[in-house]
Amino acid sequence: MRAGNIERVKRRMLQEAVAENLDVIRGLPPRALRPSSRFVRIWLKRAPFLVALLTLLGSSYLIANGGSGTVVNPLPVQRAAVIGSRQAGLPVPREAVMSPERMTASAFPLTVKRVVLDAGHGGNDPGATAPNIFEKEITLDIGRRLRALLESDGFDVVVTRDADRTIALKDRAHLANASKSDIFVSIHVNALVKHTASRGIETYYLGTTSDPKLTALAAAENRVSGYSVSDMRRLLEGVYADARRDESHELAMAVQRNLFTKLRVEDPGLENWGVKRAPFIVLVATDMPAVLAEVGCISNDKESAMLRRPEYRQKIADALFEGIRSYASANVTRADAPQKKGIEKNG
Amino acid sequence: MAEILNVGIDLGTSRSAISASNGERFVVDSFVGWPVDMVARKVLKRDVLIGHEAVANRTMLDLHRPLERGLLKEGSEKDVEAVRELLKHLLRLVGVGSNGTAASNVRAVVGVPAASLRTNKQYLRNAMKGIVDSLLIVTEPFAVAYGLDALLHTLIIDIGAGTTDFCVMKGRYPTEEDQRTLTVAGDSIDTQLLKLIEERYSQANVTVFMVRDWKEKYSYVGDAAEPVLVTAPVKGVPTELDITGEMKTACETIIPPIVETMLDLLARVEPEFQERVRNNIILSGGGGLIRGLAPALEAALQAVGGGSVRYMDDPVFIGSDGGLALAQDAPEGDWEKLSA
Repeated sequence: MRAGNIERVKRRMLQEAVAENLDVIRGLPPRALRPSSRFVRIWLKRAPFLVALLTLLGSSYLIANGGSGTVVNPLPVQRAAVIGSRQAGLPVPREAVMSPERMTASAFPLTVKRVVLDAGHGGNDPGATAPNIFEKEITLDIGRRLRALLESDGFDVVVTRDADRTIALKDRAHLANASKSDIFVSIHVNALVKHTASRGIETYYLGTTSDPKLTALAAAENRVSGYSVSDMRRLLEGVYADARRDESHELAMAVQRNLFTKLRVEDPGLENWGVKRAPFIVLVATDMPAVLAEVGCISNDKESAMLRRPEYRQKIADALFEGIRSYASANVTRADAPQKKGIEKNG
Repeated sequence: MAEILNVGIDLGTSRSAISASNGERFVVDSFVGWPVDMVARKVLKRDVLIGHEAVANRTMLDLHRPLERGLLKEGSEKDVEAVRELLKHLLRLVGVGSNGTAASNVRAVVGVPAASLRTNKQYLRNAMKGIVDSLLIVTEPFAVAYGLDALLHTLIIDIGAGTTDFCVMKGRYPTEEDQRTLTVAGDSIDTQLLKLIEERYSQANVTVFMVRDWKEKYSYVGDAAEPVLVTAPVKGVPTELDITGEMKTACETIIPPIVETMLDLLARVEPEFQERVRNNIILSGGGGLIRGLAPALEAALQAVGGGSVRYMDDPVFIGSDGGLALAQDAPEGDWEKLSA
């Protein structure tokens, strides 16, 4: 660590040591057993935004239901939230908005408008390879096909690369964050050097893993990240308490489900390796729900041959499109489902 | 305004060390004794004896070792009094009560075992009332890490007399998950060594104090550099005893639990940082002086990809120096909140 960083870390540690001592003096229970002050701080910071949003929803309801349209009586925040939720036609328990419980982005009927597509690797980084074919080529082609599908369906699409260019993972994340997009989908192709007989589909979302294989895979994909270890740590710490992880999980489930069910029709031997967590840089450093799909396995001869076929790549793009659309529509529907009780433990 | 004296105190089961901002550093045996009767008081000419003096004159004293497994023994007023005497003695050694420094101008950081409960800390805080102006209690391995600036990707293994404390430093104030405490430590070696010697030399008259001295001089694991020969009375006759094997066996009893705990903590580190932590393991405390211990732990690390275990040069004061660093860095406003 640099000297400045050491001093900063020391100051923070000292503050925490003093806080713990003060808790002992005051006879307070351990912080881990108390409602998360961080949670409260986060929502206090977001309060102005929430008030504005909920008021808007309430106003819309009044207008739609014969309100004056010009003079709208201000509504209490909780009341406005309940009314706004009813717009979609399903009941929402009052406590879902009244109690200080964990809420996800799906607490509000927001739609997915802008999608970032990240074609893995590129330029000097070919990714996984097989004779006469590179991962970077496959991902770019699928990305282009997927972009066309999404745009034709009304989505705004931002791509991290549209040509065979080297782009650091850090720059990809910056681009995604700057674009204020709603979701991030990274397209990759697997290679299992020691298990060439295996072929399957898997989708990742952000999280830690104790599986050394997944760690190795993440390390390989993170090779040209451009992030330092301290950057990585900061990013990881920042994300764990975030509802974004739950949303990423939902998106990963939708993408994986569609990829597997649709591609298995083309290849009955395809295995479902499921939804997993791993600390890929592009998932850590992006601000929006993010997934990384390993859409095939280039190390398997049969699948490598299929990936060479444009028709199969189109099938992959179709499946990804259906997965994204499924998540986007469910995002609206889930807004009206009862919220989970309590504050989930992170980790 | 009177000058403030910052001190770091490593309140140990066997020894307690103090480092002060005036440059003074002392270590004393954590023993406190009161003369058992008028005769003893007349001979000793003191109301209370502390440290080595107390051990040396223990036959005439009501001897107390007020800390057990690094914690103040609860429920015993005499032990509370003993720890207060011990702390006052440490502070006197660094000049409190003389040189114009009053207790009301002392700010102390005291290290306790990693697994100390909040009630233990509150108990200690109560015991220190009136002895210092302000008190900050931290875990001992954290104090060590702070003093060494080893705040990130480091595993501290602090082997004391009563406890062996582990702490993985992750760039934040350590939580319970980051720390472990074992009661396998210097005292357990003493107990084992005494038992082994008594088994082999049943006629020898050996005490735990003698065993402790021998351990501190000759402890080792692995291969012996030379025979361990000590002298003890056998039927009243000073006799040379070869305790080479017993010393090795007793010292090596602490390795399996330490290795298991070390590997368990390492496995809980984020996968991408595990190698860095494995290569940054620091041994501190008196137990760190056991010859061959660092290589033995490194050998155990081979099973998980290898690692490096370092031993610090000044293990006796490493904790109190860390406490002093904390005391000096703590902002003025914080000290006001931490009145003892």
